[in-house]
Amino acid sequence: MKIENTKAQMRKGVLEFCILSVLKDDDAYVAEILGTLKDAKLLVVEGTIYPLLTRLKNAGLLNYRWEESTSGPPRKYYGLTETGKLFLKELNTTWSELQNAVNIVTSQKTTKK
Amino acid sequence: MNKTVNINLAGIFFHIDEDAYLKLQRYLEAIKRSFTDSQGRSEIISDIEARIAELFSERVQNNKEVIRVKEVDEVISIMGQPEDYLVDDEIFEDEPQTTYNRKTSPSKKLFRDTDNSYISGVSSGLAHYFGFDAIWVRLAWIILFSAAGTGILLYILLWILVPEAKTTAEKIMMTGEPVNISNIEKKIKDGFENVTDVAKNVTDSVGAAAKNVSDSVSNAAKSVDFTKQGNKIKSSSKTFFDTLGEVIMFFFKVFAKFIGILLILTGAITIIFLIIALFSIGVVNFIHIPGLDLVDVVNAGNTPVWLVSLFTLFTVGIPFFFLFYLGLKILVNNLKSIGNVAKFTLLGLWLISIIGLVVIGIRQASEHTIDESVIVKQELNITANDTLKVKMVDSDLYMINRHYRNSSFKVLNNENGEKTIYRSDIRIIVKPTTDSLAKISIDKSADGSHYEKAIERAKNINYNYTFNGNELFLDSYLTTPVENKFSDQEVVVFLYLPVGSVVYFESTTRSFLNHWNHNGNIVTPGDTNHYLQITDGGITCLNCPVEESSKINIDIHDDESSVKIDSNGLEIKDEDVNIKVNAKGISGEDEAVEVKINSDGINIKSKDNDNSSVKTNNSDI
Repeated sequence: MKIENTKAQMRKGVLEFCILSVLKDDDAYVAEILGTLKDAKLLVVEGTIYPLLTRLKNAGLLNYRWEESTSGPPRKYYGLTETGKLFLKELNTTWSELQNAVNIVTSQKTTKK
Repeated sequence: MNKTVNINLAGIFFHIDEDAYLKLQRYLEAIKRSFTDSQGRSEIISDIEARIAELFSERVQNNKEVIRVKEVDEVISIMGQPEDYLVDDEIFEDEPQTTYNRKTSPSKKLFRDTDNSYISGVSSGLAHYFGFDAIWVRLAWIILFSAAGTGILLYILLWILVPEAKTTAEKIMMTGEPVNISNIEKKIKDGFENVTDVAKNVTDSVGAAAKNVSDSVSNAAKSVDFTKQGNKIKSSSKTFFDTLGEVIMFFFKVFAKFIGILLILTGAITIIFLIIALFSIGVVNFIHIPGLDLVDVVNAGNTPVWLVSLFTLFTVGIPFFFLFYLGLKILVNNLKSIGNVAKFTLLGLWLISIIGLVVIGIRQASEHTIDESVIVKQELNITANDTLKVKMVDSDLYMINRHYRNSSFKVLNNENGEKTIYRSDIRIIVKPTTDSLAKISIDKSADGSHYEKAIERAKNINYNYTFNGNELFLDSYLTTPVENKFSDQEVVVFLYLPVGSVVYFESTTRSFLNHWNHNGNIVTPGDTNHYLQITDGGITCLNCPVEESSKINIDIHDDESSVKIDSNGLEIKDEDVNIKVNAKGISGEDEAVEVKINSDGINIKSKDNDNSSVKTNNSDI
């Protein structure tokens, strides 16, 4: 078992949640989403995000609109749909529960030591 | 100095260095292979292209600037290697995905390896497929060619049906290695080395060599067929059930291949034999091989034999060809389809052949619809007091089954060297008549599609007999010129004999006499070799032994006692009792008394005392 794989899987697991969270308030195009995620060190390379976006869009959680760009090709602006918002809400609760749980478990271990 | 290529990436125009272009192209192809269509591949790719275009636009200040390998490398490091695009399905999939369609081992495909070929590359292709050295496959072919010519047919079929490995990807697939960037690059590098060797030696041609290299690279990259192997590089964690499934699939595949081999063998052997058989018959029509004329003679409908052969070949051969094809298809994954046109043509031919055969069958049958006969009568000088002897006579030519009636036929040359049909379908029917003279009537009959034809054929039957003194010699065969074809020609000889005359059938007539007493026939095969007197409703045998079957013989005995009933009379014996009834009279006897009744009278005698006896004579009664 490679530590890299485990790390990557951990990151990938929360990636969808994070993408939805980025779009929570405002629509954004891919480079913006990528910027946020890269700043947070959630992503190392950009490639990973494209299949995820398509998947989320196909699942009806995201929709997009085209906007012309002055410096390059037209941009896809992604935004949350109503289902996406509900989905995010659910995930938020799950995340806090999980965070809590992980905190408890990890802190217990340290106390035992 | 470098060539540049113009590309259009997400609607934006770029000048790009050729090396950089090839790198980018390979990169995009590799990414494309990471996704399946169901994941929305085309959409993902266009998003990625848009992003790459964006990154490029950030890097080029004006339209004249060229994108070089450096920029492409930068973009690739930002975007990530193809592996980074992979989405781990087991984490993200809502429903657990069935893992059957995810191939974990690269599948080999059968191609013809024209790079290492002697004839067509079939052998080296098979060698790649089965994993032995090509020399063994070639040896096997040589054995097959020399042992039985069938190998040639198989070889040609494989040549036609197995596609040639043309693209780099196909060449890699042929050896069973997974088609991925590194393998393709390796394959292309192999090609490079040849070229660069040349370049090293011939300094002048460096430029040309470089051009060759780039050409071959671009050609190879263009022609590579990436799409089919889409899922190959997916990493998958094997579970126990995956392994179990694979084992089951493996056995299933082995079984399927076995069935495939069976189908191929059945199909090929049948077709080969059919072709050999029908070709030899078809040829007979043009080259006259003695003994094979029969085919032509039976053929009363005058249908060309080659047509029948062809129809039969198609009717039987086409289904077997499809069987063969099915077998090949099971055995070889990527078999070239013979194409819908070919399939429907074959199907059409098959239907036409069936219809053709049916039509020919009906025509043939119609040749036998009408059965007509011609009757020739003659009086024989035999009256009520005469004795007639009947004998069958053979031909010197037609000696098969002599003296036996037989419904088959033979074609022979007669005395004049003309082809003639010989047949021994002769029947003799004997009937009593009240006329004073005997009469013979020859009834010749034949089949035909209509009345005139049947009559014509019946007339053309030759049947002879001779009457000499009081002996009648009947031919045991009939003949007819071969032009009349075989159309169930037969002869019935009616013999009308006056009541009171005597007839003697020699044993040669046995199988020609009618078994049943139908048509008023009075002489059956069992009556040969006897003098038979004709009576009003039948025959009386003059010298037949008296039937003895009605007599009863009983003989029961053990050591001491016995009971006998036979032609001599009745006899009952015991240790001390003896009773006899026979031609001599009746006698009974025990230890003490003896009783006799015979022509002398009745005599009762006591054995103990000679004096005490009672006698009655005829006169005494």
